[in-house]
Amino acid sequence: MAEVFLVDVSKSYDQGKSWVLKNVNLSIADGEFVAFVGPSGCGKSTLLRMICGLEEITKGDLSIGDERVNDMPPNERKVGMVFQSYALYPHMTVRENMAFGLKLAKADKKTVDQRVDEAARILQLEPLLDRKPKAMSGGQRQRVAIGRSIVQEPRVFLFDEPLSNLDVSLRVQMRQELARLHRRLKTTSIYVTHDQVEAMTLADKVVVLSPLADGAESNLEQVGAPLELYHHPRNIFVAGFIGSPKMNFFDGTLLEGGEEYSRVRLNSGSEISVAVNAVSGKAGDKVVLGIRPQDIHLVESQGNAIEGTVSALERLGTESFIYFAHPDIHESLTVRVEDSKARHEGDVLTLKLPAENCHLFDADGLAFRRTRVTDF
Amino acid sequence: MAMVQPRNLKYRVWATRIFLILFILMIMLPFLMIISVSFRTGNFATGSLIPENPTLEHWSLAFGIPWTNVDGSISLPPFPVLTWLWNSIKIAVISSTLILMLSTTGAYAFARFRFRFREHMLTAMMIFQMFPAVLALVAIYSIFNTLGNYVPWLGLDTHGAVVIASLGGVTLHIWLIKGYFESIDGSLEEAAAIDGATPWQAFRYVLLPLSVPILAVVFILAFIASVGEYPVASVLLQDVDKLTLAVGSRQYLNPQNYLWGDFAAASVLSGLPITLVFLLSQRWIVGGLTAGGVKG
Repeated sequence: MAEVFLVDVSKSYDQGKSWVLKNVNLSIADGEFVAFVGPSGCGKSTLLRMICGLEEITKGDLSIGDERVNDMPPNERKVGMVFQSYALYPHMTVRENMAFGLKLAKADKKTVDQRVDEAARILQLEPLLDRKPKAMSGGQRQRVAIGRSIVQEPRVFLFDEPLSNLDVSLRVQMRQELARLHRRLKTTSIYVTHDQVEAMTLADKVVVLSPLADGAESNLEQVGAPLELYHHPRNIFVAGFIGSPKMNFFDGTLLEGGEEYSRVRLNSGSEISVAVNAVSGKAGDKVVLGIRPQDIHLVESQGNAIEGTVSALERLGTESFIYFAHPDIHESLTVRVEDSKARHEGDVLTLKLPAENCHLFDADGLAFRRTRVTDF
Repeated sequence: MAMVQPRNLKYRVWATRIFLILFILMIMLPFLMIISVSFRTGNFATGSLIPENPTLEHWSLAFGIPWTNVDGSISLPPFPVLTWLWNSIKIAVISSTLILMLSTTGAYAFARFRFRFREHMLTAMMIFQMFPAVLALVAIYSIFNTLGNYVPWLGLDTHGAVVIASLGGVTLHIWLIKGYFESIDGSLEEAAAIDGATPWQAFRYVLLPLSVPILAVVFILAFIASVGEYPVASVLLQDVDKLTLAVGSRQYLNPQNYLWGDFAAASVLSGLPITLVFLLSQRWIVGGLTAGGVKG
């Protein structure tokens, strides 16, 4: 059990000519479950591999507990890791796989057996202890991989997309098992995933990373509790990344920045009231208005509304996604409604954008603080 | 594969079988002839495949047992064939073991580490391997001649010299093993490192056990090459009692008197250790060792 501190951690594969990760600052408390999320290529796996010592840290400091571990080889860091590919030793049985690390550490046979049996019990692997990995299913293999790190009683658990090779129903089940395991063991855990549902459901704290843009100071976009990221994304990147389907963005101009409500004119002409504090913005500034697909209402009335032409419809039974063509949006405007009524291509519908549900970003992509978030 | 086959396939299958049988005959015939010669009375290279008056004379002499001829005279074994056989086995086992150790560790470095001139070294090794050892005979002779002045057991006419000279053959094996190592997912060794293994332990307990098939193949190849090696051993070894079977068998064939029968018996004998090594190693040459370790 230990805290993990990252100070200005950076990674470059070509002696500083180009950076994969830059100035990542993060503190992870003892027992905390932290998820790294981001699109592919954002360096989240690299960051995890730097924490366990499989990649060198080009710049910055990493400490686990109260020791700086930058130059410590992985076998001395006392961390456990679960790989995306499971990486079980194929020539060993489940028992041997789990006991491998303890045997290397020259633990006595009684301790080894006791810890392996305990881990097998927690993960319901008891009937499989004498099998080899090839005779097991994906979910069982992943449990063995988890068991292998549990028996070592590591200071930190590292998970590198552990569920991405499992099918959907198994993934949901394993997700709950992981959550239960963490409640039970209370070991500091770091979890890398590109699946935001896993991050939102498992983590105490979510770290959003983005691929490093030219000239950017860091690719750490935001750190916060799952719902904080959802309701108060710090910038457009986080707003677009968290939440599925993706948030809709409209280009517009700030008409009036108020303390509780601000007014925006979309490029197509509609005037929308937004519940954000935009006092810092000036009238005439370019802004981006964001709203999630399920927050838009189909209504008859006018006021705080826009008109859209239906371009496509996906009906899933309990809900439907309606895609609209709208001049302010490059892709299509997505609206989620909770019915499966038929609608036709070319229909023109009025879409209400409730002020309380709207996000507003300035020209640099930074969010204005929302003022009327009720359910958080 | 339960694919639907066209009807004329039957004829093609038969054509293939006939071709295969002819091909196997072509390979087997010289071997059968050597066996036949070894049982033939007198030292004749030509004759019918099934000897008319089979005799164990040549085999008896090869095993060092004096042979009483029909007329009562006694033939003494001309050469210490069993000593040669033992020399061959000793040299082959030691050099194959050393080759295996060197090429495995070398291949590990080339497969898993990134260092300067790595590519150049690999290419250079491949190119040097292309020159036959015969080209270097003079150099090998003078090197071991000089070496013998300082390290007696590495001088001319020692088995140590033959073993050391054979180690030049590791490069091909390094390539072979490196290719196999690269097919094993690196995350297994990473997992071992996180489990607390040093790089050596990860190599020893994870990578090596998974590479047993290729190690067995390399051992067999090195063993065969060593047993059959002629040019270098013939230059380095001179004393009759130190010769290997491959070099020694040549002694039967002096221009004045070709002892084909004795030569044939010795030749068949030299195939014995190879067959034995192959049969013993065969059970390690299995597929699917790495199955189930990583999700592909």
